[in-house]
Amino acid sequence: MDEQDVSKLASPSATRGDDASDAVTGSGPVPRVLPAVLSSPALRLAGRRLLTAVPIILGVSILTFLVIELIPGSAAQQLLGPEATPEQIQQLEAEMGLDRPPVERYLDWLSAAVQGDLGRSLVSRQPVTDVLGDRLAVSGEIVGLAFLVSLGFAIPLALVAARWPNRLVDRVSMVVSTTGLSLANYVFALLLVLLFAVQLAWFPAIGFVPLSESVSANLHSVTLPAFAIAFPLFCFYTRFLRGDLVEQMQGEDYIMTARAKGLGPWQVLLRHAFRNSAFGLITIVGLNLSALIGATVIIEQIFSLPGIGQLLLQAINTRDFIVVQACVIVFAIITVLASLLTDVLYAVLDPRIRYGSN
Amino acid sequence: MAVTEAPAPSVLVDDESTPVRSRAWRRRLEIGVPAGLIVLIFGACFVLPLVAPIPKPIGGDILESGLPAFSPGHILGTDPNGNDILARILYGGRSSLVVALSVNVLGLVVGGGLGALSAHLGGIVDSIIMRVLDVFIAFPSLVLTLAVAQSLGPSQRNTILALAFFSIPAFARISRAATLRLREQPFMVAARLSGTSTWRILVRHLAPNIGPQLMTFAMLGMGIVMVIEGALSFLGLGIPAPAPSWGNMIAMGQLSLSATPMLVVWPSLALFLTVIGFNQLGEALRGRWSGR
Repeated sequence: MDEQDVSKLASPSATRGDDASDAVTGSGPVPRVLPAVLSSPALRLAGRRLLTAVPIILGVSILTFLVIELIPGSAAQQLLGPEATPEQIQQLEAEMGLDRPPVERYLDWLSAAVQGDLGRSLVSRQPVTDVLGDRLAVSGEIVGLAFLVSLGFAIPLALVAARWPNRLVDRVSMVVSTTGLSLANYVFALLLVLLFAVQLAWFPAIGFVPLSESVSANLHSVTLPAFAIAFPLFCFYTRFLRGDLVEQMQGEDYIMTARAKGLGPWQVLLRHAFRNSAFGLITIVGLNLSALIGATVIIEQIFSLPGIGQLLLQAINTRDFIVVQACVIVFAIITVLASLLTDVLYAVLDPRIRYGSN
Repeated sequence: MAVTEAPAPSVLVDDESTPVRSRAWRRRLEIGVPAGLIVLIFGACFVLPLVAPIPKPIGGDILESGLPAFSPGHILGTDPNGNDILARILYGGRSSLVVALSVNVLGLVVGGGLGALSAHLGGIVDSIIMRVLDVFIAFPSLVLTLAVAQSLGPSQRNTILALAFFSIPAFARISRAATLRLREQPFMVAARLSGTSTWRILVRHLAPNIGPQLMTFAMLGMGIVMVIEGALSFLGLGIPAPAPSWGNMIAMGQLSLSATPMLVVWPSLALFLTVIGFNQLGEALRGRWSGR
């Protein structure tokens, strides 16, 4: 699809029906959108947003450093245990470079970090980038799966609910999503374990099998955690999309136009209302990504998964400043990139934003 | 704490065919039912232990451990340490509610004030305040709370402090957006032109107008904070055992999930009912203020 088509995609009266759903699941639009990004004001927008992201990430790294400095006890102390003599601790701290002034250590870390070297773990002595890669793969798999499952169920359900508001499907979906939104994810995770691992024994309660070992065992081990993360998201998306669709269908002029020219109710809903509602959904998905980080910490703890959340928890406990710093930076970059991607996607999809005064 | 500034869809469709009177009743119920639930929960946690013969939540007799529900003197039974489960839920609810209330009041007052001030002053002050808050929003909230719990030791006060770091930016953003919308309204322009002091504009002109919106967010915030506080206690970093909290009760129950699932179910149910009460009240208020 060329650039013209992309701009048409965003207009409420666009005629192609299958693109909007791709844009939401995130599987389709990248190759099609790319040429438009490269030659449009969206690129400048992205550039500007990237520039504002730099001080945010810098601020986050300073904050993390301060926070770790404030925690009493050093990595050396934690490694040697309570029996260690002060001399032993001092010696190990010197080896780790922890005896130097904090500002110097931070600047050292920063100058290495901007060159892509996040340092070595104080505890395991492994390069952080290696550790992080494996951990991110685990967390990424669960979160990615959770997004797929939640959107895959939420979009069709919201469409059906909005097609017949206040009918059975709509009412049931609203009750389910209202309930789900008030259920803490760790509570839901434990309910899943109780039902599917303890009672029915369909899935393992804890543990992780890498994808490289066995595909089916891997999927088996990530199903429960992925659903535990997906369910609140599913509720949130269903509720939001259904509400937005109903609002569009009731009051908007372009809906009336579409109806007046003789389109069937499904066509109006899918091609016109849904296309507009997709914008709100994209925003919410982008915002969720950062909230999910908190979810991974606790879900990985419940299911004993070797993901980045578990790594972070361990690193805080062992005062492994290098690892904590790396995890937090990765989280912050994901958060900032997600909101940047949302804005750019907006600009690409909506010509009013692309050519607006911003 | 994640802030969603996306437009809020109205949940219920106003059916044109419904008579006006029954619609008015429905609205009253939408607010009354969750409000009643919350009053009940507050009453149960704060008043009931004072007037009813509820056993102590800690220091139970080991001989009475693991009693089933409806045992004499222990309606919900006892946990493996012989403590009355109902008592632990009620006292645990106290600490959860105190944390959630404090965090939201701090957020409402400090964050709301900061956001309104930032938007009202504008210019470089606004930019600086908002950039600093952006850093906090990009910072994973759980990390800071974990770190605070580690450095200052897990306690109720420290949990409140750590969580307030995240409620303040969230409230500030909402209050800033609301203030920006009001900035050019005639009454605000008139106040500025007549030389009203900044403080007076904030308190007398802005606060009454952005208050309802912030209060609505505070209701939703109560639910959010209760869940996060539970998560912290669940990870052993919130309210320290043996003092009860819903989070640490769930965590303890997880250890014997297959044998005694009710140890997890009761505190989970309490948490769920409280959160749904606040969420529904927030939703109902939001619908009301947005003039649905």
